[in-house]
Amino acid sequence: MASSRDDFIIAIRSAFLKKSTQQKFSLLSLVFVSLFTLILSSYDFRIIKYIKIGISEIVYRSSFIVSIPENFIKNSFIEISDYSTFYSDYKKNKKELNSLKSNYVSSEIIQNENKELKELINDYVSSSNKVLAKIIVDHKSPFLKSIIINKGSKDNIKIGTNIYDQSYLVGRVIEVNFKTSRVLLLSDLNSNVPATIAPQNIQAIIRGNGTEYGQLKYIKEGIFDKFTVDSIVYTSGTGDIFKSGTPIGKLKIIKENKNPDYLVEFYSDFSQLKYVFAEIEFKNETQKSNQDTLEFNNEIKSTVDTKIKILEDELKIIEESNSKFLIENEKLKVQINSLNNDLSNFEKKNLDQKKIIDKLSTDEDELKFLRLNLQHSHKCRKTIFNIKGFLVNTPEYKECILSKGKN
Amino acid sequence: MTILKQKGFYYKLYSCLPIILLFISVLNEFDFNYLNLKFFSFNFPFILIFFFTLKDVKNFDYSLVFIAGLINDTVVGLPLGISSFSYIIICIATSYFRNITIRPNLTKDWFFFLFIISLINSINYTILTLFFSYDILLWSYLVNTFFTFLFYLIFLTIFRYYIKGLND
Repeated sequence: MASSRDDFIIAIRSAFLKKSTQQKFSLLSLVFVSLFTLILSSYDFRIIKYIKIGISEIVYRSSFIVSIPENFIKNSFIEISDYSTFYSDYKKNKKELNSLKSNYVSSEIIQNENKELKELINDYVSSSNKVLAKIIVDHKSPFLKSIIINKGSKDNIKIGTNIYDQSYLVGRVIEVNFKTSRVLLLSDLNSNVPATIAPQNIQAIIRGNGTEYGQLKYIKEGIFDKFTVDSIVYTSGTGDIFKSGTPIGKLKIIKENKNPDYLVEFYSDFSQLKYVFAEIEFKNETQKSNQDTLEFNNEIKSTVDTKIKILEDELKIIEESNSKFLIENEKLKVQINSLNNDLSNFEKKNLDQKKIIDKLSTDEDELKFLRLNLQHSHKCRKTIFNIKGFLVNTPEYKECILSKGKN
Repeated sequence: MTILKQKGFYYKLYSCLPIILLFISVLNEFDFNYLNLKFFSFNFPFILIFFFTLKDVKNFDYSLVFIAGLINDTVVGLPLGISSFSYIIICIATSYFRNITIRPNLTKDWFFFLFIISLINSINYTILTLFFSYDILLWSYLVNTFFTFLFYLIFLTIFRYYIKGLND
């Protein structure tokens, strides 16, 4: 027992400390160095930061060069598979293009309208410059989904800069070096995006799950019934991490179990990215943009703030009066309805009375005729002595009676 | 191979091939998953380091393995030092295993490899989730470990040819 323990200790000691001729360092020292580095990086030490930036600058470029052969194989493979689905893709694209063309016009109108409204509300517009960036490293690590782009702090890229594929959101910058940056993709587990689901207008968080789909998180229970397939998911801008109104993907409902899964199918295929756009934002005030001194800047800012406050107050008053008007409007509507009902009742009553009056007037005529008939019937009735008379019950006879026997 | 020995430069290049391959693999992070299979990934550097440190191949310097780890961390985006630590743990394990083994056996090597990569992936997972608050799926680590374990046999066959060429 003791000898086996001794053997174990000897073997371990030898493994850690024994250095063969070709080795420059013992394994124990290397373990200590790696642990030391790891501890320092956990505390985000400045030295480690600089070392990492230094290594990144060299490694990302080298990695791009080294990846060329594998990328060539990968691209060839994709091209071959693309050829096999070429015709169906062409048909699909044609259909999509037609619908997009029609959507484009309305989208442009909405964009302009949106810009105008933003100007009205905030008195400033957020303008941005999109910088084209090339993806130099795109490693599909099973654990982390990120890409490296060839733009860094030199090109005004900052941590949190939004990255797009055309107009679709791809991710945001999480690490910035001088000439390169690391982008955390939406599909990464650590990515959380506040989003809105249209047309239902439901707020949610889209979280990556390591696949090509995103997961919906933090949604009120029972609201899932409202979802429909192909609902559009776009950024809500909550938290000011992502710009609002950027399309992310469309909703997909997978009914494998009793409880269906609600996933977000990203518009952009992250495995096929070659170039992306980095959005460098700066806020531009529409009024008095040329300020030189800080004091003047502050003054302008305060006036702008006051103006905004006045506008906000005004807006509040308008909203309040609006709501009052709405209530009043409702009341008036009710009143109008009741009055209309009354009117119809009166009309009905009037009609009935008219009928009665008509009947009465006919009765009165009859009475007058009968009275005159008694007096003048001998003048109008046709007899042997009165040949000029008329037969009883004929209109001529009636006329004669009414004219008091004057033919 | 005698021709290689005569030509000094080519022999040196041939003997340095494993370390060159290690650097290429950490810089390139070989994927081989062109079909985008959902449950497929393996760790090539683990296989390479395990095999060549176990065989105690010339020019496979531990310090270079350490540097390869640092590069891997930078490329993948992991905290600096974690891959180096993992690689050095493999070196220690193989060194220990070499010391206690009298008669090398393929099955023993293979299962020892499984034990080591499971241990390393567990340590990595623990460090990343506990100290660096990373969100990582456990099953992705398990799948990675499984395929790395399976692929060891395939690469072992290729590496044996290399060793044979080096010894001849």
